[in-house]
Amino acid sequence: MLKMTGKKDLARLLLFLFYRQGLCINIWEQLMAKTENIMDLIDAGIKAETLRQKAIANNVANLETPGYRRVDVKFEELLARCLSSSGEFDLSEVEAQIYRPKQTPVKSNGNDVNLEVEVGQMIKNSLRHKAYIRLLSKKYSQIALAISVK
Amino acid sequence: MGVDNSFGPIDIAISGLQAQGRQMKVISSNVANARTSDAGKGEPYRRLEATFKSDSDLGGVKLDKIVTDMSDFLKVLEPGNPLADEEGYVAMPNVSLPIEMMNLNTATRIYKANIAVLKRYQQILETTLELLR
Repeated sequence: MLKMTGKKDLARLLLFLFYRQGLCINIWEQLMAKTENIMDLIDAGIKAETLRQKAIANNVANLETPGYRRVDVKFEELLARCLSSSGEFDLSEVEAQIYRPKQTPVKSNGNDVNLEVEVGQMIKNSLRHKAYIRLLSKKYSQIALAISVK
Repeated sequence: MGVDNSFGPIDIAISGLQAQGRQMKVISSNVANARTSDAGKGEPYRRLEATFKSDSDLGGVKLDKIVTDMSDFLKVLEPGNPLADEEGYVAMPNVSLPIEMMNLNTATRIYKANIAVLKRYQQILETTLELLR
């Protein structure tokens, strides 16, 4: 369970909640041990979600293109691998990658895009994106508060 | 450490949508072929039926297989039909339209129910995100 100490309690709680809902990985504890910069994490996350949104849009646009296989974005796995490796690492080096899973059943025209799956991915993606954006704006308001203190 | 790829409520609802989408495909095939007296194998179209299964406790639903309904064909008196036998009867598919309509209704309702679950869960998460404002 979580220890409620320090100034990042709310953000930590939310990430934990999202982890419980299966929406994100439990990276917080490991990340805090390795890096102190939340902004870098949020930045990497937003980049990955933006790329994933593009991938989903591309899949939906190619819903009936013969021979098209759906694309997905690999980010959480790469981040998890980086976190479990020993030593320091730079978050900006964790780049989201596009790949073709080729796991879904193929239709008669060689296409494997399913509209329902894409909609589900989009909902999850937008929720994650919203969480990251809110965390970022919270961080900015913290900074603004620190500046405004005289 | 790994990434948790287990099925969440969103994935389960989506699996329901997919399953009912395939069920509708089967129903539309049955309805379209309700009077297909030649399905290529020397006999009329046989009614198809989709079966569903669940792999694990919270793994959502999956289309197991599409099986053919082996019940008897319908005999229709059509002496003018080239496929008619000596007595003038033609074998017609074992599709019953009222049953297909009933299945279509059920499939539609389940599809909508899954959409409702999806929407409600999304709302719940949005309220969680409101805490961050």
